[in-house]
Amino acid sequence: MLFQDWLKDDSKIVLFDGGFGTELIKRGLESGKIPDLLNIEQPYIISEIHKSYYDAGSDMCQTNTFGSTPLNLSRYNLENRIELIIEDALKNIKKVCPSGCLIVGDIGPTGEFRPPVGNASSDQWYSSFSTQTKLLEKEVDLWHIETISDLAEMLAAIKAVRDISKKPLIASITYKKTKRGFFTIMGDSLKKCIETLNNENIDVIGANCTLGSKDMLELLGIAKDFTDKPISIKPNAGQPIIKDNKTYYEQPVEDFANDIRKMIEIGAKIVGGCCGTSPKTIMTIRKIIDSI
Amino acid sequence: MLKEEFFKGISRAIVDLDEVKAIEYAKKAIKENMNLLDIVEKGFADGIRKVGELWEEGEFFLPELMRGAQIMQSCLDLLMPHLQSYSEKISQGTVVIATIEGDIHSIGKTLVATMLRAYGYEVFDLGADVPIEKIVEEAIEKNADIIGISALLTTTMTGQKKVIELLNAKNLANKFKVIFGGAPVTNTWVKECNADGFAENAIGAVRLVKSLLDK
Repeated sequence: MLFQDWLKDDSKIVLFDGGFGTELIKRGLESGKIPDLLNIEQPYIISEIHKSYYDAGSDMCQTNTFGSTPLNLSRYNLENRIELIIEDALKNIKKVCPSGCLIVGDIGPTGEFRPPVGNASSDQWYSSFSTQTKLLEKEVDLWHIETISDLAEMLAAIKAVRDISKKPLIASITYKKTKRGFFTIMGDSLKKCIETLNNENIDVIGANCTLGSKDMLELLGIAKDFTDKPISIKPNAGQPIIKDNKTYYEQPVEDFANDIRKMIEIGAKIVGGCCGTSPKTIMTIRKIIDSI
Repeated sequence: MLKEEFFKGISRAIVDLDEVKAIEYAKKAIKENMNLLDIVEKGFADGIRKVGELWEEGEFFLPELMRGAQIMQSCLDLLMPHLQSYSEKISQGTVVIATIEGDIHSIGKTLVATMLRAYGYEVFDLGADVPIEKIVEEAIEKNADIIGISALLTTTMTGQKKVIELLNAKNLANKFKVIFGGAPVTNTWVKECNADGFAENAIGAVRLVKSLLDK
């Protein structure tokens, strides 16, 4: 299995893809439309974005299925179309994935919180992730559970994936920076999250979204002391600003890539970008990795 | 028990997120015919303010903030019928709040609505994915002072601007104060839309509403 070989090879830094939603916005994604539906409605755009990342040098890219759980889709009245959405997501990425590169099954949060914030239960989360995993399983090489802001939801997702699949699994939580350090919005500390994930049957521990590259560099410096597992990092390109009704991320690509270089130096195994990063960002990081 | 201690006890019950105790205090205050205005202002409001501070300090997180606001709300629900004059006094403002059309993110908006209620404002929460016309219609119907519009996506933020454009078209721009919320909202965006302000979190939203209505 290629990914496991990459993990075992100390000289290999794995390059993930960059932001997907922000690439869709550049291409005129309509207000409030769930990107997952575009797998069916505008498949060529989805394939084009995947291809642009593979062409830029990504070793692996993730399926456009961030929101494709029954719980999340039901908020758009799309839960009955989940099979077609995921089937087309897989077609869209398979047709552009070069040989030697991998397809990552992307699993995002359900969007439903546990009480007192919302009404979701662990069983609901598990069942929702389970449905998504079953539909993706046959075509993906590995998994990325990402942007999860509640450790309890992460554990439900891991269990759902592990009850179905033996493929490698990256578990990425999203943290905010507080005066007392890095925490999820639900109050789990970075240390608690990593120590909990250390005991789970996963291959890589990750962090993505919310934080820009500077804060993520600081987070990695702390996180690496809590685990022996490989670490995956996908920061945002700073914070978004809006001009003329369009969204921009102002952090220069070189700044972002330079922070990624430092993350590689202190031990990140898998690097990529989240919101605001683009194929240009990935191309710049590719050059850095190739020069190491 | 001294009055001051009674107030402190209420405040502590809210900070400890102890609903049973908080409700006991509220019932006792009603039964003993205490000055309920003081009970709310020096006891409950003090507690929720401290919960907000602990959240801003990174000691409390979303569950504690939400729980604190919910406990405060259930106590206010008990006290309000006994406090007509207080209800009039603190209901100095009416807020119509919604997450904009196309956006289904409701946590932040719900939290702001809950906190505003906990602070005694009258809040009409229209939910998520609410059409622009509906927000304006409801604001007129409820005679709102403030319209709060949440957008969590950079793709839906433009709807916030459209609400203001619709108010301008209807010559209603001076009737309401319009405030924004949501992760991607910035001061630059507020200025571009000619809105009356934005807040980065629920506690900031309460401060903003208070400052706009005190003007």
